[in-house]
Amino acid sequence: MQYALLIYENEELYRGDNGRALDEIITAHVALAKALEEEGILRGGSGLNTGDTATTLRKSGGQYALHDGPYAEAREQLGGFYLVEVPDLDAAMAVAKRIPLAGDGSVEVRPTTDC
Amino acid sequence: MIALDQTAREAGGRIVAALAAAFRDLDLAEEAYAEACARAAAVWPAAPPLDPAAWLYATARRCALDMIRKRNVRGRLAPDAPEPEASAEEILASDARLIPDERLRLIFVCCHPAVAPEARAALTLRLVCGLTVQEIARAFLVAETAMFQRLTRAKKKIAQAGVSFEVPGPEAWPERLAAVLSTLEVAYARAHEDAAGAGTHAGYAREMLGLTAVLAELLPEEPECLAFAATVRFAEARRPARLDADGAMVPLSEQDPRLWNRPLIHEADALLRRAARLNRPGPRQLRAALHGVWCVRRSLAEPPPWSAVLALYDLADRDDPFVRINRAVALAELGGPAVALAEIEALDAARLDDFQPFHAVRADLLARLGRRDEALAAYDRAIALAPGPAERLWLVRRRSDVT
Repeated sequence: MQYALLIYENEELYRGDNGRALDEIITAHVALAKALEEEGILRGGSGLNTGDTATTLRKSGGQYALHDGPYAEAREQLGGFYLVEVPDLDAAMAVAKRIPLAGDGSVEVRPTTDC
Repeated sequence: MIALDQTAREAGGRIVAALAAAFRDLDLAEEAYAEACARAAAVWPAAPPLDPAAWLYATARRCALDMIRKRNVRGRLAPDAPEPEASAEEILASDARLIPDERLRLIFVCCHPAVAPEARAALTLRLVCGLTVQEIARAFLVAETAMFQRLTRAKKKIAQAGVSFEVPGPEAWPERLAAVLSTLEVAYARAHEDAAGAGTHAGYAREMLGLTAVLAELLPEEPECLAFAATVRFAEARRPARLDADGAMVPLSEQDPRLWNRPLIHEADALLRRAARLNRPGPRQLRAALHGVWCVRRSLAEPPPWSAVLALYDLADRDDPFVRINRAVALAELGGPAVALAEIEALDAARLDDFQPFHAVRADLLARLGRRDEALAAYDRAIALAPGPAERLWLVRRRSDVT
């Protein structure tokens, strides 16, 4: 099955003086991506720029409206994702536990649909 | 149709588990099993099978394969030929012992942390123990439609999230086991409630001995797991003494210990000692110990262990109303009914209005204090909530003793 592993973290962890944390986490992500590639389970993924760079398009009552900012203003923001091909949820969870997080954070594991 | 009812009760869980493990599809397993039962109801009166469980399993497997084929027909030109009916030879050779026991696997599926906590026990009761949605709804005090939706959502989640049908490896046990144990406890509590042992839950009370033995064997270093296995044994050991000649329930303190199953008690004692040696106390060990202190008793001539019972309840979780109610029972024996009633009256009566033990214990204490009308009213409420005929008969008798 294919799963998207969606990483939610507090962006403050990487701002300002925490620039070094960002470098470290990127190095760790590169290493993980390489390992998953070698294991033959990586299907895609990317890091995402911070939520303040996001623009959200909302369709409502047939009208489109743009607004500045991410879909949801939450403390933890979607910061990147992996797409992996593994046999089951337990295996996906095992990959999720290997994802580097700078501090507290969440990884949402979602199966993709067939189409 | 007694043969079908009995087979379904004794082997239903095992058949559904084997189907679910084989096809990795809970809905398919349930539907195929239901279809096999419907066919059995139609066929068995004229042609009773040699081995009813094996017949149900073989038929359900064929139904499942047919259902898969029908699903796959969409987008294809011609369906495969249907699976042939079993030959006479196959029927003769069939044997229920050949049905693989996948119940443990199914339990880990139903109790996976990815399944909503409030759905886990319900799903296990439905699939492994074969309770109806109506029975489960009653046990969990929710409407039947709500329970049906809860089960449907849980099955959909398991299918779509790709929950594994394997027993997890040892590294995952700490996380996965707590969910399994609390689920099995809920399931066993329902079985234990049925004192007569003749209701729909009696079959799986015995199955629970097997399931907990497997768990204790798989997880010998998990004290709570050993303790739960001990509790089931202590409780099942007393089953022969739980009813009197009229079929009324006999409370623990009045049961004749000579009727208890001693070998099973020894087994339970050994499990509890093994758990204690691991030196990691927990609530399940406390519960098993409570059963254990009763089972030390050899005859009614020996005094009941009320002070030990009270001391153990003092160590238990005081936020649990069931603990408080049982503690009050011991307290009544040691400190008198007035002290015990004060404990009971301190509980949230509105929240416990549907909880039979609350009314039964309260009724008894009121009766002992000579508060006749209140005692009768509490007995009426307890009788209305009685889970089975044995409890009802006992309560009716107690009510008639109120003077």
